[in-house]
Amino acid sequence: MAEDNQNMLSFLSNDGKTIDVPRDVAERSLLIKNMLDDIGPVTEAIPIPNVSENVLNKVLEWCTHHRSDPPSTGDEDDSRRKTTDIEEWDQKFMQVDQEMLFEIILAANYLDIKPLLDIGCKTVANMIKGKSPEEIRKTFNIQNDFTPEEEDQIRRENEWAEDR
Amino acid sequence: MSKARNGPGTGGKPRRDVLASLKMASMEGFSRASLPAEIMASILDYLPPVDLIRVARASKLLREMAYDDSRWVQRLKRIGCWDESDARKHAEKNFGTISSRESVEGEGSAVPDQASSQPTIEVTSVSDGFDQINLSSSTTKSLVELEADPVLGALELAKSIRGEARQEYGKIHAALAPFYNDITTLGPSPDNLISQKYADPQHQAQLLSQLQAFAKCDTTEGWEGRLEHLQTAVSMFETAVLKEFRHGYETDDIDDRMKKYAHVLFTLNGGGSAAELFIHHNHIITKKSELGRLGDCIDALTQKVNLAQTQLFFTRLSVAFNEEVSIINRAFPPLLRVASPFIEKVGRDVLYPFITAIFDELHHSNMESYLIAVSGTFAQCMNICDVLLPIHNSADSFDELLHQAIYQVYEPHMDLYLAEELDFFRKGSEAAVGEWDRQLSEQAASTESYLMSNVNRQADKRDFLTSFKKVIMAPVNILPGFSGAKSNEQKSDQDSLGHDAALTPKTNRFSTISSPSTPPVAEAPTNELAAKAAIMKSKMEGIRSLFSIEVALGLVHTAKSSLERAAQFVGIGGDTGAVVKQQCESIFVTLLRILGHGHLIQGFNKAVDHLSNYRPREQGNHDQSGVEPLVTFLELVNVGDLILQMIDVFYEQELIGSKLTDRNDFLDPAVKEKKKFEQNLDERVAAGLNKGIDVLMEEVDYILATRQHATDFNPGASTDPHRPTMDVSVTQAAAAVVDVVSSHTQMLVGSTDKSTLDVFNQEVGLRLFTALCKHLKRQRISTEGSLKLISDMTHYFKFIQTLKNNELLIYFKAFRELSQIYLIDASDAKELATLIADADRFQGIWRVEEVYEFAERRVDWFQVKRDVERAMYGFGCSVM
Repeated sequence: MAEDNQNMLSFLSNDGKTIDVPRDVAERSLLIKNMLDDIGPVTEAIPIPNVSENVLNKVLEWCTHHRSDPPSTGDEDDSRRKTTDIEEWDQKFMQVDQEMLFEIILAANYLDIKPLLDIGCKTVANMIKGKSPEEIRKTFNIQNDFTPEEEDQIRRENEWAEDR
Repeated sequence: MSKARNGPGTGGKPRRDVLASLKMASMEGFSRASLPAEIMASILDYLPPVDLIRVARASKLLREMAYDDSRWVQRLKRIGCWDESDARKHAEKNFGTISSRESVEGEGSAVPDQASSQPTIEVTSVSDGFDQINLSSSTTKSLVELEADPVLGALELAKSIRGEARQEYGKIHAALAPFYNDITTLGPSPDNLISQKYADPQHQAQLLSQLQAFAKCDTTEGWEGRLEHLQTAVSMFETAVLKEFRHGYETDDIDDRMKKYAHVLFTLNGGGSAAELFIHHNHIITKKSELGRLGDCIDALTQKVNLAQTQLFFTRLSVAFNEEVSIINRAFPPLLRVASPFIEKVGRDVLYPFITAIFDELHHSNMESYLIAVSGTFAQCMNICDVLLPIHNSADSFDELLHQAIYQVYEPHMDLYLAEELDFFRKGSEAAVGEWDRQLSEQAASTESYLMSNVNRQADKRDFLTSFKKVIMAPVNILPGFSGAKSNEQKSDQDSLGHDAALTPKTNRFSTISSPSTPPVAEAPTNELAAKAAIMKSKMEGIRSLFSIEVALGLVHTAKSSLERAAQFVGIGGDTGAVVKQQCESIFVTLLRILGHGHLIQGFNKAVDHLSNYRPREQGNHDQSGVEPLVTFLELVNVGDLILQMIDVFYEQELIGSKLTDRNDFLDPAVKEKKKFEQNLDERVAAGLNKGIDVLMEEVDYILATRQHATDFNPGASTDPHRPTMDVSVTQAAAAVVDVVSSHTQMLVGSTDKSTLDVFNQEVGLRLFTALCKHLKRQRISTEGSLKLISDMTHYFKFIQTLKNNELLIYFKAFRELSQIYLIDASDAKELATLIADADRFQGIWRVEEVYEFAERRVDWFQVKRDVERAMYGFGCSVM
């Protein structure tokens, strides 16, 4: 039991579900890792107030798959080429509806899981690629707050980007 | 579970607080369907520029994010046309210094309203006015330039201005994207957009190199494939141009075709491939067999290296090299570094195989020839460096490069060469000494004619040494570092040489053997030396049986040539240079060992043995004026000194002069060995002299015993009726003794150092004194004979005076005084007594009793004894 306490944690999602998680999987989240480092062993369920059970499960699925990844080297340096390439497993993993995708990104952001956040962002970026401004607005649920003149001006300013 | 929960329950308050903060966090303020701005920003990081602009058109918030200057600066940096310092300068010029930093920072967000007629509300307050001025000026300026060559100069025209990164990127994108997309979508083909628009390969190259830079900011999915397309296109282009380039080289179309395509390649990617092709397909390498054949350089019959042939090879090489260099200078752009790889290649592929072949061949067949070849070709290499044309872009380091290349070629041979050099020298000199020893033992039984001369040895030696020095210095003279002081010294030496040579015939008894005609100064030093050596040889004939100056000279010569061969390589520097120095020193050490220990010291040992075994009385023949082994030995000392000085000159010239070793480094093996050699020599000389004195004194004793007639000092006892009365001349015996002793002491003058000489003289004097005392006590002296004795004593005294030793003089002065006691007539017994008792008169050398003993030797002693004793002690009277 005592040993289990060391290796198992339980999360409490915002809709009141308890999920047992191996400690190394949970520590993919820097938030959880730092907290455990600060306050020592925790026996009760850790509340994850911003994340619902199904999203949390999804996130934990990713964490389990990547549990043995080397820890990220902190901030990526600028010189390295930031590509939108995503590895195959992650691509499949991200094949969810848009709402779920955003939830995952938010959860990754909240739990501070940088690689997952990056993958999420890349997926969104690939989604946006090639879309018209109107489509983009729709995707992100944004109101068009430009006057037609303003919109026209942006187009003129950036004529080089017009057609490819 | 309940237990676990109870545990923290007691002290659980603070812990619950920690978790409580988590619980309280909520997602208020987020709309479910959208993402927070920070996440949007990082999403935009992954978007290609075209999509970014489309996003900017979606809403004001997104526009602000998409226009963020740092995003575009990032891209420009990746392409490689963002100069941070330039940007800072620009910013400072336009916005003042760090104090107005905020406005610079704020500029990123202020950018969108450039040239806008309706500035948006949130930005107007920040830095509106500045932007306007800044932009209008720069856009007009760049527009003018862009019009001239809008596409080809796209990257060079890009400016590093904060707040305008997006516009700058836009220009680049507009210029390059069509070509980039063309290549990446259609794949590389001869009819790409590039070749359609630009016919000039120079322009194509420029565009391609720009595209390569531009490709670096393409980060979206599939970039690897696109990059590959681009690389293929570039390499296709490169191959085509290289072909043209090569064709140009092969058809000797240097100024036009080669130059053009070299520049094209330089523009494309630095021209590395052109340089590589040029070096690999160079004429000099393909035609290297024409430069010289191995067979020519080695004489088939004698297996000797033909240095004239190798020189020919090097000349041909330098001509070919110069041709290629002129091609390089004409065809390649100055910034392209062709020189060093080219030189290295020539060294490695032309020079190295050639000399290696020669060396290998010679190493098997003829060692001496091998040694000559290694150093000879090295010298030729170095000489050739001077005639080579410089490659213009590397003027400063060109010589260094050449030398480096040559060193690299020679370095692998060094170890073997040095080992062989030392070995060769050792074997050669050992053989020389061995051969000489063998010859000696063959004729050991034959009669040895000891010769003795009164030649002015010092002059002769200086004469000889001068010639020697000249020979040693002759090659060194060529070197620039020769000091003026030395040449003066040499001149004065020459003067004295002429003087000495003029003197020599008068003093030289052996002028018949080889007349030492004054050598003409213009004569080659080697001949002069040979002549001198002949003279010396004839003079030193007496000691031929012990060691030979010719052998020594030969050894020194061999050492010199070995050393000079090896010393050339000191310039290589580094580890090899240090090894070379070491080897040079060990050559010198070997020379000392063989010459010194093997030759000289052994000769000395032999001479000392001779001396100690010498029994003058056992030998019948005493006509000669000298003690044979001692004469030999003293001659030996002379020659030993000569050789020592020779080695000293050699050391100064070869090792110190060429900076092979440091005189003050007392741990240096060469210096140590030299010291040891000198010490050894001194020891031998001292030991020999010791023995020599014994022998000399025995001879003196012998002469005194055999030549001194009883009647010399007592003419009254003579039976000869015709004896002359009152003869005051020196007796035969005294003259003989002085002759013997003086001839031997004079021989040493100038051959050993002063202190040794003084010690020797003093010892000789003292021993002579004792011998004479003993001798005197054996004689009977009459008043008449005392005159003879006095003249004898004066004769001795005069001789001692020449030794210039004051202490000795006292003894002999006393002798002179002593002889007067025989002069006093018997009637003056009282006077005699006072004379005997007057100890001061004899400088305290004899006690009264001793003087009394001498007085006993008077012929008439028994007649005067009573009177004398009475006068001395006064008891005679009382007894009577």
